[in-house]
Amino acid sequence: MDAGSCNGCEIEIASIFSPTYDAERFGIRLEASPRHCDGLLVTGPVTRNMAAPLRKTFDAVPQPRVVVAVGDCARDCGVFRGAYGVEGAVSDVVPVDLEIPGCPPDPAAIVRALRGLAGT
Amino acid sequence: MTAALLVATALMGLAGTAAGAIAPVRFRIALSSALTIAACALGFVVGAEVLHSGHAAVVHTTTLMPLASFSLALDRFGALFVVITAVVGICAMIFRFGYDGQGLASRTASSILPLFVTSLLLVPAASNVTTFLFLWELMAITSLLLVLTDHARRSEVQVAGQWYAVMTQLGAAALILGLVLLATRSGSQSFAVIAVRSAHLPAWVRSTAFVLAVVGFGSKAGAVPLHVWLPRAHPEAPGPVSALMSAAMVNLGVYGIVRVGMGLLSGGPAWWWLLVMGLGALSAMFGSLHSATSKDLKRLLAYSTTDNVGLMLLGVGASGLFADTGHRALALLALVAALLHVVFHAVFKGSLFLSASSVHQAAGSTDLDQLGGLLRRMPVSGPIFLVGGLAIAALPPFCGFVSEWLLLQSMLHGLPSGDVAIAVAMPIGVGVLALTGGLTAFTFTKAIGIGLLGLPRTQDAERAGEVGRPMWIGAGLLAVLCLVFGVAPFLVIPSVVDAAGAVPGLHLAGALTRGWNVALPGVPGMLAPGLVAIGLVGFGGLVALGRHLVQQRPVRLTEAWGCGRELQTARMEYTATSFGEPLTRVFEDVLSPARDVDVSHLAESRYYTEAAVIHTTIDDAFERRVYRPADRMLVRWGAVARRVPNGSVHRYLAFGLVALIVVLVVLA
Ligand code: SF4
Repeated sequence: MDAGSCNGCEIEIASIFSPTYDAERFGIRLEASPRHCDGLLVTGPVTRNMAAPLRKTFDAVPQPRVVVAVGDCARDCGVFRGAYGVEGAVSDVVPVDLEIPGCPPDPAAIVRALRGLAGT
Repeated sequence: MTAALLVATALMGLAGTAAGAIAPVRFRIALSSALTIAACALGFVVGAEVLHSGHAAVVHTTTLMPLASFSLALDRFGALFVVITAVVGICAMIFRFGYDGQGLASRTASSILPLFVTSLLLVPAASNVTTFLFLWELMAITSLLLVLTDHARRSEVQVAGQWYAVMTQLGAAALILGLVLLATRSGSQSFAVIAVRSAHLPAWVRSTAFVLAVVGFGSKAGAVPLHVWLPRAHPEAPGPVSALMSAAMVNLGVYGIVRVGMGLLSGGPAWWWLLVMGLGALSAMFGSLHSATSKDLKRLLAYSTTDNVGLMLLGVGASGLFADTGHRALALLALVAALLHVVFHAVFKGSLFLSASSVHQAAGSTDLDQLGGLLRRMPVSGPIFLVGGLAIAALPPFCGFVSEWLLLQSMLHGLPSGDVAIAVAMPIGVGVLALTGGLTAFTFTKAIGIGLLGLPRTQDAERAGEVGRPMWIGAGLLAVLCLVFGVAPFLVIPSVVDAAGAVPGLHLAGALTRGWNVALPGVPGMLAPGLVAIGLVGFGGLVALGRHLVQQRPVRLTEAWGCGRELQTARMEYTATSFGEPLTRVFEDVLSPARDVDVSHLAESRYYTEAAVIHTTIDDAFERRVYRPADRMLVRWGAVARRVPNGSVHRYLAFGLVALIVVLVVLA
């Protein structure tokens, strides 16, 4: 879920499903609805407008679930720290289980982290 | 005994009419409804007795009508229809006690309604041409007056009335021609005599009479392309009337086709029955497609009536085709399936129409896009609609499943017969049945999902509450029958087999029920609805038990997923229009939807939109391509013809002279 990112992280996330990285072979799939998910990938600093939708989306994921904060912004607001529209980092809004550093993180790092979660 | 009861039925109905006309306002509805219920009860007794004993109830008098005798002879085949009408009539009249259709309380409507029910009860008993046509017209005209009940309040009612009047009278004209042709050619107007002598009539007389009868009865049954009045008239009629029309009156169209085609003419060449099957297939597909894309609850039900009539005609056609090619057992099986569908359709469509009227009364609309959340607000009527919907979608353990299964089986078992017509027609029939089955399930998923579940879309729907007790009792009785007949079809199947056996030339190789099960004599195949029901209940129990065992942790309740939106309102719900949209697109050529977008701009700048309104309408293709052009053509001819009499006396004198000369020349 994009909580206010610059879309850099999304591009890297999208590329982990490209032929080069092909995360699907590890059983990692991108889902359209939180109802079908085991985990929630959040990118970007949480803006004020996106805080409530983030909470609702988190609520909508069935338990047990994991929250992964992708990118520096998600971890600690990154370059947007202190900006007027920013509510805080992801962990200020919902509990975070795993953080992936980088601005943006390397696709290989994302795949590695997710594989670690899934144990594949 | 039965004859006396038949007379008593008619008299009781007339008493209801009299009560509706002269009783004081306070007792008007109660008295006329009670007397109509009594008439239906008597009719039920007569019908049941005739079905049971097989002895026809005969009433014959020569003094009632000038120049012709009035004669009734109720055989087993007709008795089945009397019983159906009686049951639907009783439920509709109970419903009427609580119905607050202002129009239906009027003196006119109160006196016409018992007359309508009485004519419905007596039509299947008519045993000569004059009596039949008299009762048939009585039924047509009283039903027309009842459709027009609310004409002063809504202009659509007038339009519906006009369509109905034209279509029903065109049908009646075809009927009069057909039956009179038969009567004059066979030298008697008694059905019994015609049935004996018709075999010796020339082929063209028989075929013409049959085709005219199919047109006449088909228009009453709402078969495509003669259906155009039905989706207009049924929704506009008051609740109990629309239930009676859909659940009892259209049946008589099927009755008529069987009575004339198999009774009076004792079957005919294959093309007759292919014609009937073709009409049936067309009606079934067209009706189910339109009902799947309609957003008005009652219009949806009306189109679904066309769909179900199509299935009945498929069965009737298949039966005639089998009989023509000498497959007697299959012919009876197909006819039994068709008649069983008549019975079950009456039961579920009656309960659906009545509970849709309850919805109308409670929520002020039948537009699905204005409803929602009614299952919780109407804790009795909602489930009644649900049961009706499950039954019509042919899901076990409800009754629609049994009749559609039998219909499917009878068509499938015809395949190995080796006859070309059968080999071509039956797979198409099976395909149509499968397609309409799917579309019906789609339709009622929509009706129930959009109309009964979710959030209420308007304040009226929000404030809706359960309707009065008589209303849900009336609809509920029929819903209970849906379940009873679905679990224990052996309660009705023997009677239906007896009724079908009354049609000449059909006989059964064995019983159709074996204990609780439905067995097919002469062909392999069996259905155990009781076991299916037990299995379903057992499966439901297992699921509940499994959930109970697995669910250790407490259930976490969260909001319905709405893309994380802050504000969730009823405006964001799925609508009936959008639900049907994919289907509308796929069948664009048939449905030809029209879309109108109205955009109003802000006064300050045309680049900004103030409001955008989108209207989508789906026209009836036959109405647009056949009836409207025909209508325009008639108007144009009328305009031309008006120029001939221009008011000049000289011209009229000249006309007279020319006419005289022509007559003299012709006679000379
Ligand atoms: S971490 Fe970098 S790439 Fe990702 S959203 Fe923030 S600024 Fe953009």
